[in-house]
Amino acid sequence: MINIEKLHKSFGSNEVLKGIDLDVKEKEVVAIIGPSGSGKSTLLRCMNYLEQPTSGMVSVDGIVLNEADINKVREEVGMVFQRFNLFPHMTVLQNIMLAPLKVRHADKAETEQTARQLLKRVGLADKADAWPNQLSGGQQQRVAIARALAMKPKVMLFDEPTSALDPEMVGEVLDVMRQLAESGMTMVVVTHEMGFAREVADRILFVDQGVILEQGTPEQVFDHPQQERTQTFLSKVL
Amino acid sequence: MQFNWDLVVNSFPLLLVGAGVTIKITAMSVALGVIIGLFVGIARICHFKPLRFVAAVYVDFFRGTPLLVQIFLVYFALPVITGQRIDPYVAAVGACGINSGAYVAEIFRAGIQSIDEGQMEAGRSLGMTWVQTMRYIIVPQAFKRVIPPLGNEFIALLKDSSLVSVIGFEELTRRGQLIIAKTYGSLEIWISVAIVYLVMTLTISRFVAYLERRFATDDQH
Repeated sequence: MINIEKLHKSFGSNEVLKGIDLDVKEKEVVAIIGPSGSGKSTLLRCMNYLEQPTSGMVSVDGIVLNEADINKVREEVGMVFQRFNLFPHMTVLQNIMLAPLKVRHADKAETEQTARQLLKRVGLADKADAWPNQLSGGQQQRVAIARALAMKPKVMLFDEPTSALDPEMVGEVLDVMRQLAESGMTMVVVTHEMGFAREVADRILFVDQGVILEQGTPEQVFDHPQQERTQTFLSKVL
Repeated sequence: MQFNWDLVVNSFPLLLVGAGVTIKITAMSVALGVIIGLFVGIARICHFKPLRFVAAVYVDFFRGTPLLVQIFLVYFALPVITGQRIDPYVAAVGACGINSGAYVAEIFRAGIQSIDEGQMEAGRSLGMTWVQTMRYIIVPQAFKRVIPPLGNEFIALLKDSSLVSVIGFEELTRRGQLIIAKTYGSLEIWISVAIVYLVMTLTISRFVAYLERRFATDDQH
């Protein structure tokens, strides 16, 4: 579903990604873990071209990403941000309906029906007419997930979706993501929630200093890490 | 010194006619300025370098030269090039609007840049184009934030519109001059003119304050 070859990304003279090769299969759930500044968010953001690779290739569902038809690819790739990024001047329902209406030119009644179903799915059926700032962080993030799902994406990218949340709200967001994984969505999740990664992910990537240092099933990476840096990192966060 | 109240009372209707003209050219210039300013402001931050350059030149030129000179340029210099006389009304609104556009552009640019980058990223990640994201997400939010500085700009423009009296356009200031030419009542008329301007600018600033409050409570930011 997502194919990455020899991906390099530099910001000025600072090389953040130093040659990444990665294949994410359909319905696979990949969790990317690693220390701050390791490049894991940058890697995720390259997958929908929010960051332009300095060199190398990224393709999604067989389409190689480039400047020209990036919007087509982004329609198929949902993204959820650390800080929700809901549109504050629109109600919850309008937030969800905007992209399907403007990008897909979908039918309005149908879009609204889908939006309400999605809100029900994330447990916020009664918040359709609320404004984003009337919601808690956890509720906002669930709306953001619904908003991304409204485009019926083939892949969902999550950039530290629970890092900006109060601890008691982390669970409700992870629950929604768990359901999504169970429904067969292809997901790439940058996260610090090791429990969630172990339980939900099919594969764990440990990224450090711009390279994928180690990868494998949760059991392999969490229980039998091969690299010393992985062991040090895990001993600090587990 | 004697203050001639009768002169004030008698010339007041004529001054009000002039005030009406002032309001009209200000409103037209504001409309022109906002439209120009919106596009130039967005052009200032777009990714297409030549457009950015043209927009920067526009802003530099019209902020960097006096409005009075710009009015002369439009009314006296432009006809030399085109060979056609220009209507004073068109010249007045044109010069004021184009001038105001440069200031409004900077207001919009600052307003747009004050919107969190995550908003653009969220819009783009949903498959919307840069233009769509600007139109539906960034600009509507920026509009609320630029209401106070836009209000200031409108007040400045209303006052600056007195400059078009130099091309014989009969707005409030020019009306005052004409009445004085007939009656020699400098004291009474200039005080009256000043008060009429003051009433108009205070009205605008109250209205802007009202808008600011309304939009502030609308989505509880």
